[in-house]
This record gives sequence, C-alpha cells and structure tokens, in this order.
Amino acid sequence: MGTGSQTLTGSENKMTLKPMFKFLAKRFIFLLITYIVATTIVFILPRAIPGNPLAQILSNLSRIAQANPEAIRAVEKALMKEFNVDKPIFVQYSNFIVKALSGDLGTSITYYPRKVIDLIVPVIPWTLLLLLPATLVAWILGNTLGAIAAYRRNSWIDKGVLTSSLIVSQIPYYWLGMIFIFLFGVRLGWLPVQGAYSQGTIPSLSWNFFIDAFKHYLMPFASIVISAMGGWAIGMRVMVVYELGSDYALFSEYLGMKDKRIFKYAFRNSLLPQITGLALSLGGVLGGALITEIVFNYPGTGFLLFKSLTTLDYPMIQGIFVILIASIYLANFIVDFLYALIDPRIRLGQGE
Amino acid sequence: MRRLFVFLVLVMALTLIAQVSIPREETVYIAGALWGPATTWNLYAPQSTWGTDQFLFIPAFQYDLGRDAWIPFIAEKYEFLDDKTLRIYIRPEAKWSDGQPIKAEDFVYALELSKKLGLGPGVGWDNYIEHVKAVDTRVVEFKARADALNYYQFLSYSLGAQPMPKHVYAKVEAQIKDWINDNPAEQVVSGPYKLYFYDPNIVIYQRIDNWWGKDIFGLPRPKYIAHVIYKDNPSASLAVERADVDWAGLFIPSVWELWEKRNLPIGTWYKQKPYYLPDGVGFVYTNNTKPGLSDPAVRKAIAHAIPYDEMLVKAYFGYGSQAHPSLVIDLFEPNKQYINYELAKKTWGTSDGRVPLDLEKAKKILDEAGYKTGKDGIRVGPDGKKLGTYTISVPYGWTDWMMMCEMIAKNLKSIGIDVVTEFPDYSVWADRMTKGTFDLIISWSVGPSFDHPFNIYRFVLDKRLSAPVGEVTWAGDWERYENDEITQLLDQAVSTLDPEVRKNAYFRIQEIVYRDMPSIPAFFTAHWYEFSTKYWINWPSQDAPFWFRPSPWHADTLPTLFGISSKNNPQPIPKWIETTDKGGFGIPTSKVFADLQSAAK
Repeated sequence: MGTGSQTLTGSENKMTLKPMFKFLAKRFIFLLITYIVATTIVFILPRAIPGNPLAQILSNLSRIAQANPEAIRAVEKALMKEFNVDKPIFVQYSNFIVKALSGDLGTSITYYPRKVIDLIVPVIPWTLLLLLPATLVAWILGNTLGAIAAYRRNSWIDKGVLTSSLIVSQIPYYWLGMIFIFLFGVRLGWLPVQGAYSQGTIPSLSWNFFIDAFKHYLMPFASIVISAMGGWAIGMRVMVVYELGSDYALFSEYLGMKDKRIFKYAFRNSLLPQITGLALSLGGVLGGALITEIVFNYPGTGFLLFKSLTTLDYPMIQGIFVILIASIYLANFIVDFLYALIDPRIRLGQGE
Repeated sequence: MRRLFVFLVLVMALTLIAQVSIPREETVYIAGALWGPATTWNLYAPQSTWGTDQFLFIPAFQYDLGRDAWIPFIAEKYEFLDDKTLRIYIRPEAKWSDGQPIKAEDFVYALELSKKLGLGPGVGWDNYIEHVKAVDTRVVEFKARADALNYYQFLSYSLGAQPMPKHVYAKVEAQIKDWINDNPAEQVVSGPYKLYFYDPNIVIYQRIDNWWGKDIFGLPRPKYIAHVIYKDNPSASLAVERADVDWAGLFIPSVWELWEKRNLPIGTWYKQKPYYLPDGVGFVYTNNTKPGLSDPAVRKAIAHAIPYDEMLVKAYFGYGSQAHPSLVIDLFEPNKQYINYELAKKTWGTSDGRVPLDLEKAKKILDEAGYKTGKDGIRVGPDGKKLGTYTISVPYGWTDWMMMCEMIAKNLKSIGIDVVTEFPDYSVWADRMTKGTFDLIISWSVGPSFDHPFNIYRFVLDKRLSAPVGEVTWAGDWERYENDEITQLLDQAVSTLDPEVRKNAYFRIQEIVYRDMPSIPAFFTAHWYEFSTKYWINWPSQDAPFWFRPSPWHADTLPTLFGISSKNNPQPIPKWIETTDKGGFGIPTSKVFADLQSAAK
C-alpha cells in the first residue's frame, strides 16, 4: 500500500510538472517577443513626435543663460556629436538595443551628463515606498469592502459601499490631494503640505527623520489609497455577485450548504482576476504617480517620466520604459506562475 | 531580554542624536532656479547645476549691470599693453578651496579646454581672441584677433574669464564630459560656496568660512543656500507665500496682492508697477520668408496693430512696458545715448518714439501698399495672394503669452490680416522657431548687458547667425532677415574705439530697422525676483538698489548674497560693490574704454 501510494504521487508529479513547465516556457517566449516589440515601440514613438530633443538645453542657454551665439553654436555641435541625433535612425536603434541588452541605458540629454540609471535609481525607493503599500492597502481594503457588500447584498452596507466607491473612484487623485492639502495642511495645519521630508533636514537613519518622513507620507498615501480603493471594491462586488449567481453556487445552496461556505468559494473564485489586476498595478508602480508627485511635490519616477516626455529626452524615456516594461512583465510572469500553482486547469494542462 | 531592550533604547537614543538638519536662520531658501534633477557641478557641460556658475566659480572681474562697471574679483587690476593686448593681474590672496594658489595657468587651461571640447566656461573665445598666455604665475595676457576685432567680445571674454583648477581637472580631463564632481570633499572651487548635500528633493551649498576673499570682500551672509526642487510653479509660489522660501525668481500672477491684500512680508524690486526690473525684449517675430509677411509694409501695419498697453496690463499683470522700436532697452540710463530719439519721434510720431497702437494708420499703410479688402474682410495683395491664414504661436501653458497672442490675432483680423492662434507643445514650437517655419511667434531675444545694444542688433538682425529655412539655428535671426549693410555696421560698431563712430553706426541701424521693421520689439520681459523678509532683510530693491541682477538664477547674482543680512543681525551693504569714485572697487566700462584708447596711442 505504502509503495503503491508513493508511485502514484511520483507519477502525478511528473504529470503535473511537464505541462506546467511547457506552459511557463511558452509564456516566457511570448514575453520575450512582446518585450522586444514593446522596446521597439518605445524607441520609435518619441521620435515620431515632432520636435528636437536638444531644444530644452539650447533654449535654456539662449533664454536663461543668455549665452553668446558662438557658445550656443559650439554646444549644439558638441551635443549633436554626443547623441548621434544626426545619425540615421537604424544606427541609433541598434545602438540602443545593443547598449540596453548590456544594461547601459545611456546618458540623459536634458540632464547631460548624468546617466539615465543614476537619475532613476535615487527616486525609485520613494516611488516604491509610496506606491507598493498604497496599492496593496487599497487592494485589500477595496476587495474586503466589495466582498462584504456582495455578501450583504442590498443591505445598507452594500448601498453605502457601492455609492461611496462609485463617487470616490471617480474623484481625480489630484483633486483629492488638493483638498487634503487645503484641509489638513493649510486649514488645520496638522500635516506638512509638500515634499518627502522637512526642508533643511538631511535624510539620515534617525527616528526624527522617520517620523518627519512619515508625516509627509500620510497625505499622498491616503489620497492614493482612497481613490484607488473604490475601483477594487466595485470590481470585487460585481465579481462575487456574479459568482454567487453561478450554477455551482446555486447547486451548493440546493444541497443545503451554509451561506458562509458558499461565500468562501465565491470569494476565492472572484479573487483570481483581482490578483491579475493587482499584479498589473504592482508592475506599473515604477511608472510613479505623476499627479500625486506634482501636487505634493513628492519625489518619484512619474515626474521624471513626465519631464523627459515633454523635453523629448529620448534616452531617458527609453530607460524608464525599459525598466517599467520589464517590471510589468516580471509581475505578469509571477502571476502566470502563481496561476499555474493555484489553478488546477492550468496545472493539469487543460489551459491549452 | 532585558539586555536587548537596553541595547535597543541605546540605539534609539544614539540615532536620535544623529539627526542632521541645517539651521533655518542661517539658510537662504530659494525657488525658481532649478526645476529638475541636478546635472553636474562641472562647467564643462552644456548645462551645469544651478549654483555652479553662480557661486562656485567666480570670474576675474564681475560685471555690474546697474553701474556699468567691472568689480575685480579674482583679479586685482588690468593693464592694456596696446589696443589689442590686455593683461590681468591675479590677487596674491586668491586661492582654490584646497589651499593652492590661483595661477595664470589656471586661466589659460580653462579656456584652452573649452576650445578643445567645444563646451565650457568662455567657449567660443577663440573667435575673437588670438591667444591667452601666462606671462608669469600671476599675470594672464589676452590678445585680440585683428582679423575679427570685436572689443565687446574681447573684453567680456577676457575680463569675465573664469579660471579652473588645473591641478584637479588635468587628472580627470580624459573623462571630463562625464564628470559630475558631486563629492563635496573633493570639490575645488574659487567662490565662497561649495556643495554640501543633494538628492532628488534639494540642493544645498555651504559657505566656505575661510574663503580666500574674506578679508577683501567679507563673507556672503548666509551660511547655507538651499534650493528645494519644486515640480511646478504653483507649489513653488505656495512655498514663497508660506515663507518657506526667502529668495525666488518666479512668475507670480498679481504679485502685489501678497503684500497689499495679504500683508505678507514679501517684496519685489518695485513696490508699484512694473514690480520687476526688465530682463530682455520680447518680440513678435515675423517670418521674413513667408509671402505677405515678407513685405515691410505688412510688418509695419502689424506693429501699429499690437495692443501694447492693454495686453501688458491684462495678460502680463503690468510686469513690463512697451519696448522701443530702436530695440534698445532704454530703461537703463546709460543705454539712452544709443537711441536717436529725434529720428524715432519723426518716424513714429510719439513723444518718446514708441510705436503707437493705431488701427486706422495700420489700415492706411496696407491700403497704400496695394492690399485690398476682400469680401471675407481679408486683404488680398497686389500679387493676388491673401494675407493669411497665418498662425501666431507660443508654447502651450505659457498662459501670459497665450493671452497676448489672442489679443494680437484679434486686432490683426480687424485690419484685414487673417491670423489664428496656435499653442503647440514646447519642443514643437521651438523647432518651428529655430527652423524658420513659423509665421508669427512671440519669443525672447537678449537682455541688457555690457555690449548692449550690439547684442540685440546682432541677435535679431545679423544674417550670419541665421540658417536656411528648415535648418535649426539657436544663435539668432529667427525671422531670417538678410541685410549686408547691417552686418557691416555691426562690425564697425564693435571694432572702433571712437564712441561717435559707434553711436553713428547704431543710429544708421535704427534708420534701417524703421524702414524694414524685420520683427516687432513688443515689450520688456520681467526679471523675476521676489524675496521674503521673514528671516533675511536688506534685499536689493528700489529702496536699496545695490545689485541689479538679483534673480537667483542669474549668472551675475552672487553679490546679492554679500549685501543681505540675517534679520537678527543687520549688517551694512559692503562698500566694494560701489564704483571707484564712490569708494568701491567697480571700474566703470567708460574707464576701461578710455584706458584702451590711451593704450592705442
């Protein structure tokens, strides 16, 4: 008996591993291809916008620094040479691909001579610290509220959650942020209105700094959580309601199963698409929250991306998107992996 | 367990002490000069971080716009050997921040490196200067090029030369273009500040308390100067209102309300209109290569149809006044001598020679030039071509200029020129401007400076700065005006030492400008500058006019910091800032030219 069951589990393992591996390998190849396509698009799109990436730097020389015509001409020549903007586009493209593969994202044009990577890295912690917890908290709170609302359908809880979610999810981030600033910052004076920490403080590993940074953190954090929460709640509510109306739920009900147990099944099944959604938003976190960053004057990648898009800083746009696409794909890949573990249809090779 | 607890408490207590911050009363906070991440503290870059040029590396002589004088900073004096050879003598006290003396070879090295890289302090000097050489350790010699003689450029490149520490830069020269120079311990500077800290939120400079010039100039008053990197204008303005910022260079709508209505301790240069000093001339550039706009009569009609006063009050909050058609910035007294007021009055019929808004006159000019009004109200030229549709454009988001465009377009339509507004993205707009593919745009030109009005005549009128339509030129002549007489007159004005010859060249240029009206000088732009007196007082202003380029982003702003005082510790404005006749250091430009003239004999 003992040996028999062992053999059984062994063969079952083999059976489950092979399709899973195939599935993952297929996903991986698919991701690689889309990655190449995506980076190519990222290369082409900014160049399709009319305009000159050197405009920002040269106009600063002309307008603000009031440089001599000779100086402007010399700088223009030097920059043209430096950035190969006068070279044919396929030369620029192959340069970009070859360098990107070796991890070199190039030099920013607008912030020349800073390396793209050196500009992105210092702001990434701020973006991650703000958006990872905020996205997770919004996801957990939103899904919980949505599930409760569906469970107690048509009760006052349901109505309350539904209407408030609908309203809150339609409020633009920045508007909520501005209201917060006005209310808690200007009127009540409880919280600082701008920045990631008090001006004049040098970031250090000290309690005062953490407390100070936390105070600055609260409002941007809350504004993101509140405005993102509503969407999750509505989605979850719809999903659970749908699941509760499906055949298996009805069947279980006729079998006389307890409400709570049926809800648990429905909840689990509703969670799957929400996890995909979460993974996508977690992957996109590195893109930053532009409006929040601007309203609260908070450091982050969103502002960097915005600046580089408006100044047509090709290497910077490419660099941020390469990182962004990679992180979204990584998140996707992890989700695929999790799915393969969670979902028996995929695990057993029936997903094909 | 208890031991661990004690240990944790100890760690907490220790980290509590480790908290670092800079004292508010000793810091001047700044806004409006830095809008993105810091780039580099190395001047061999197209764009160094704000502060590098302003506070870290100082010139031999600092130009003083208000008094039209040169303050000897690193140099103690100059000497002309003949009318093309200048020697400057370095102060014996002058030292780099690492204690090494500032030598003549540092000047030579700095300029030679700029020439080699095509980037850096004084780049382009070799267009006007034959050689720079070290005569001995303390004496630098500059020789003007006889084949491209331009006294203004010769003097501004040589007197304004910034030395670089050769003993440091020679070691990193191979990678100098990628060099960030962001380690405060390794920064070697000639000025009274160096970098203290920076991250994506802020850049902080710290005063060098044993700066070599402290016995000569004293020390600048703030111990720290810090620039928070604001993401947009509203958040920076809010910080000014909250006194989080002491010193700003921002466009603030209705700035007077801050003190008149809200009683905030904030000021600008003037307490009344125009509130700000002029910074340059804003033009309505008319593309000389476009049919219709290529006709001087059309351009003159446009000049008469611009609602100067109304648009400056409504769109610009009264921050500037109408420019003079001579292109000369006549708000600074020394510049007035270059305007032929008689000619201007005769041509334009107003008391100070400014172009009057006169729609009837504009219509008459077009009638006389043969433009007949069609059925749709748009005029048709003698060649059968319609005047329009033209676009007038500025970058999207430049709200003050956008409103001006609307007002100008409306007036031009009323005289029969079909003009619509267009507000593309900045880089698109800039591309059209520099490639000469626009119709009408509002844009900047150049500001008051040592070589004014030569600089503005050259920028707007010199075809040698232009490029064929479709090719980018940032150097100037965006409207693609061509006139060989102008280029000859410009060369004449800068290669003479006779003030009369120079003046007559300028007068002749004005005649041509009034005849051709290549583009329309519309208004003086504002030199954005606000200050708060909550922590720092004695800011340069109408009441205490000790420095005339007081904006934190301006390259010549450093003396501002020597004149202000901490609120708790008022100090006098240093004497050296004045000209020599008032007991200061400043050598008037007229004296420099007189010395040149006597050296020629």
